[in-house]
Amino acid sequence: MNSMERIGAVLSGGTPDRRPFTLTLSLYGARLTGTSAVDYFADPALYAAGQRAVVDLCEPDILFGPFALALEAEAYGATVERFPDAPPLVKKHAFKTPEDIAGLPRPTPASDPGLGFLVESVRAVVQDQHGTRPVAVPITAPCDLPVLLLGMDQWLNTLLFKPELAAIWSLLAIEHFESLAAAYFKAGVNFLVSPVMLANPSIIHPELADRTILPILRDAFGRSPGPIVFHHGGNRLSRSLDRLMGLPNIAGYVVDERDALTVSRRTLGAAPLLLGNLSGPHFSRRSPAEISERTTRVLRDREQDPNFILASSNADIPYDTDPDCIVAVRKAVEVF
Amino acid sequence: MVNERKSIIVEKHLAATESVTLLYRHIIEADRAEARRLLSAAAEGMGYNDALRNILEPTLRMVGERWASDGISLAQGFVAGKVAEDFLILGTVQNVLRHSAEAETAEDDGSRLPPKIAVLGNVEDDYHVLGRSMVASFLAIEGWNIVDLGCDVLAEEFVDRASEAGACVIGASAMMLTTARNIVKIRQVLEDRGLAGHLKLAVGGAVFAMRPDLVGEVGGDGTARTALEAPALFELLRKKAGRA
Repeated sequence: MNSMERIGAVLSGGTPDRRPFTLTLSLYGARLTGTSAVDYFADPALYAAGQRAVVDLCEPDILFGPFALALEAEAYGATVERFPDAPPLVKKHAFKTPEDIAGLPRPTPASDPGLGFLVESVRAVVQDQHGTRPVAVPITAPCDLPVLLLGMDQWLNTLLFKPELAAIWSLLAIEHFESLAAAYFKAGVNFLVSPVMLANPSIIHPELADRTILPILRDAFGRSPGPIVFHHGGNRLSRSLDRLMGLPNIAGYVVDERDALTVSRRTLGAAPLLLGNLSGPHFSRRSPAEISERTTRVLRDREQDPNFILASSNADIPYDTDPDCIVAVRKAVEVF
Repeated sequence: MVNERKSIIVEKHLAATESVTLLYRHIIEADRAEARRLLSAAAEGMGYNDALRNILEPTLRMVGERWASDGISLAQGFVAGKVAEDFLILGTVQNVLRHSAEAETAEDDGSRLPPKIAVLGNVEDDYHVLGRSMVASFLAIEGWNIVDLGCDVLAEEFVDRASEAGACVIGASAMMLTTARNIVKIRQVLEDRGLAGHLKLAVGGAVFAMRPDLVGEVGGDGTARTALEAPALFELLRKKAGRA
């Protein structure tokens, strides 16, 4: 079975030859090819070469397009800092106040080089795999885009105390999501992964989230031409899963390493895909033996769960991770 | 006569307790306008400083306790900060703020405490304002005189401005691991100038909640898990600075 067939078997209720797994190794391709992340996150050919190196290293069953959400903010005028060994980060927000939305540019992948890079990188990775391996791409959750453009304090202030202005920003974020999602699917991506920060009860309490955040997600996700995997966004997800079920086009959920998979599955029911839960950022601080042991523990926990895909959660696996840590996952999956 | 006075005290206490419950509810429900109305009425009725001491401070303590145990959201903590900020503005307008940094240098176990002056800023390359602005509000409520340096503050500037202001604590905020590492530079400047004893370094930001070991790694003297816990941390560091 190739990876496409393996994931297809999971999705169709069939029996894969082994448990599928994936690791978020968007950045790591730069390390494997000895490329500075500054160049890597600017050139689709370099990005695709990095993902080929990822396949050579560990053959994950799902590859990723660039995990570089800051580039979406840059398209609106945010100042982005680039690092040789880390993904780009928003250094300065595009807008000082939410009132600045008047006259906001509406960038598209055709008009903005950063968005163009994101979409063309996906296209290049998809072409490389010749349909043998699914490709996913991270996309900023529409409720979180204003955080990148305005800052958390301004967006919270707007959501809480300026509902009319919040509605205008929400519409902008929804339309941005719709446009980028359409471009990604046109480029051949198999599904989107959307890390959602603001739907989490530790950030926004459920009563407010139900009123402000979920309608944004419902609208935006409903406009996606293809499936979306809901990513925990850095916080625990299991305690809010029940409120997030029923959003349109959601095929599965990536949970945090701190989430109990059993609890998550119980909440979700048998059908949706459940992904996790090896913390990506922790890879550089754990030994191959520790990672192997964790992997085996997770696989054992989910042994009877046909709709589980072993995956790294949280952010990208760090640049300085020992390759043996990554290979350890692959070996543990094969041995199990 | 004595009974009558006791009865008045009990009544006032009950009224304050009721107000605390109500204010807490307004904060939890993110109803900033009602919170502002309640506190303005209380300040008018019992005086600004009594409203601060008997209503706002106990409410913020309740919010802080719930926040520390994950019982409330960041947004609700944010509302608490805005309510505190509104009340501070009211106090400034009425010119009746209870605290002044100079008044807080009382003896403590025989040692003289430094004034409640702190500089706050986001470290070099960091632009995440939220935590810093909330910490500033809660510190101000506790009588701290805050010099807010804004975002992307270089290590030398932190220390220069703290020295100029006579601060005893520097509060350095960083959200990401990459920027948190710049805090080491502040520690270095403090050591180079021989100020480490009298000028303490509080560090904060999401990354420290995820990785508490980072506090020591970057040279911090302490951290607080939530903005509402910052005043206790700053007070502790102030005492340590006083003993140095």
